[in-house]
Amino acid sequence: MRTLSALWIKEWLALARDLHGLAVLFVMPAVFIVIMSLALSDVFSEGGRGVDFAVLAADGGKLAEALAAGIAGEGFRAAPAPASEAEARDSVRKGHPGLVLIVPAGFGADPGAKLKVLADPALPAMQLLAFQGRVLGATLGGDAALSRSMTVEVVGNPRGGRPSSVQQNVPAWLIFGMFLVVMPLSALFIVERREGTLARLASQRVPFSLVLAGKVGPFFVINLVQAALMLAAGCTLVPWLGGEALALPARWDLLAAVTASTSVAAIGWGLLVAVGVRTMEQATVIGGVGNIIAAAVGGIMVPRFVMPEAMQPWTEISPMAWALDGFHAVMLRQGSLKEIAQPCAQLLALGAALLALAVWLHRRRRGAP
Amino acid sequence: MLKIEALSFRYAGGDEPVLREVSLAIPSGGIFGLLGPNGAGKTTLISILCGQLRAQSGRISVDGMALEELRRREPAALGLVPQELAFYPMLTCAENLRFFGGVQGLAGARLRERVGAVAAFARIENVLARRAGQLSGGLRRRLNLAIGLLTEPRILLLDEPTVGVDPQSRAFLLESIRALAAAGRTIVYTSHYMEEVEALCDHVAIIDAGRVLREGALAELLRDEAAVVTVRQGRSLEQLFMHLTNRSLRD
Repeated sequence: MRTLSALWIKEWLALARDLHGLAVLFVMPAVFIVIMSLALSDVFSEGGRGVDFAVLAADGGKLAEALAAGIAGEGFRAAPAPASEAEARDSVRKGHPGLVLIVPAGFGADPGAKLKVLADPALPAMQLLAFQGRVLGATLGGDAALSRSMTVEVVGNPRGGRPSSVQQNVPAWLIFGMFLVVMPLSALFIVERREGTLARLASQRVPFSLVLAGKVGPFFVINLVQAALMLAAGCTLVPWLGGEALALPARWDLLAAVTASTSVAAIGWGLLVAVGVRTMEQATVIGGVGNIIAAAVGGIMVPRFVMPEAMQPWTEISPMAWALDGFHAVMLRQGSLKEIAQPCAQLLALGAALLALAVWLHRRRRGAP
Repeated sequence: MLKIEALSFRYAGGDEPVLREVSLAIPSGGIFGLLGPNGAGKTTLISILCGQLRAQSGRISVDGMALEELRRREPAALGLVPQELAFYPMLTCAENLRFFGGVQGLAGARLRERVGAVAAFARIENVLARRAGQLSGGLRRRLNLAIGLLTEPRILLLDEPTVGVDPQSRAFLLESIRALAAAGRTIVYTSHYMEEVEALCDHVAIIDAGRVLREGALAELLRDEAAVVTVRQGRSLEQLFMHLTNRSLRD
């Protein structure tokens, strides 16, 4: 019993002094609970989470306004009507608003006039079905037989219809996977510092920025291989297991640009953690937990549109959200260079800033003036 | 001569300076012993000499030329053999040598020649194809030394190069260091093994708490200090060291 008691005391003392381990055990779940609870609060509350929609009626603004008023509620918010179907299509492709109801001329009088819903490809099926229900309720008095009068077009999806689960999930988890480079990158760097190889390279006048640049190349290639493997898994493994195959975008160059930009940001983050932390434990807490929080905030684990309105601006602080915008623009919305320019620029600027911060931190530590 | 003048250094966020106006004159072509208890500032001084840290004040020069300038003109002028086994355990010995040679600008036939030469010098030719992490302690120390010699530096900083090796490997390493000094290199040698320093070095400096306590030719220091040190039997560097740095425990 004395032996067991001594072992218990030792374990408690060791645990009490392992601040990073305790942070993982207590602080991380608490942070995670707060973020996820806030993110999903509207989903589990009365009325659900809102999606913006607009109504474009050929017969005039009054009909559109009346329909919008009838549809709004239960999580759907009316947005200003676009000027034309082309503009509506363009807006939906960008995800703002997520849905546009197009009401043709003579709707109600002409049996051939059918309603059309333009839908954001990033919108989940449940939201789309709920919207169709609201439209039927508002326009047709709930007459299910008239539901044939409505067609749904998902804008930009290469398959034409609603994007599958694999189409929505692969980009999100690909981004999460790419940011995991923080772990091997920082682990290798900590070993190099601890074993004195960095000191040796410094004595050999190898500039620190070059040491960091020497890590960027291989990890960039690793990120590209990760992307290729995950896309390949979506195209081959998922259908082999009974799921729907991932549809690849037409613009490979844009996909490569988004992947490369995401990789630059992920490597920049990895290098900053590597230089900033002193131990493996710190790397695990800051790198690993940082990734999980960035994923939770950035819409990787929970789609951003289901988050409460007050929380949505905060999602923009996560680089994973920027990367997701870029991947969705390419893979779901078949967007152009214009649509990926902003997320790519944000990711590249972040990567460069983090790299510069890592170099500055190193210089400060070695006592440079 | 490697000259260090009024060198001071304080770590970012540190309360006390680690080096306080340290001045040393290290003669060319000999082995200079840098001694001090744990935390005296030896490794910090070595780190500043090799460019890993930058002193807040003071000057370092080699034959009148600032060390920075010398290293700009002659990047391979200074070599470091750190206390740690500073190589990549997952690479083979040959891969490690080629990597550290490559980052210092060696390539092609010259690189092959230098790898062969340092492997022969350190007697690691037979293990070149083995992963460095699988070597014995003595072989690792010899690989560590070999990497420091790749570019034939004229100033070599050896930070406790014999830690954790058996007597045979230690004897071999000490012989190798003597041979390097005989070839005209200036060697700065730190160690806690007083008998090693006494057997190897012609000049020594004893530092403690970031200050130089004594510096000079070993024989002269022992002779001069003998008058003030109460020595039971004989005169040894260890007795002088303990007298100057006192017996209180460090760390």
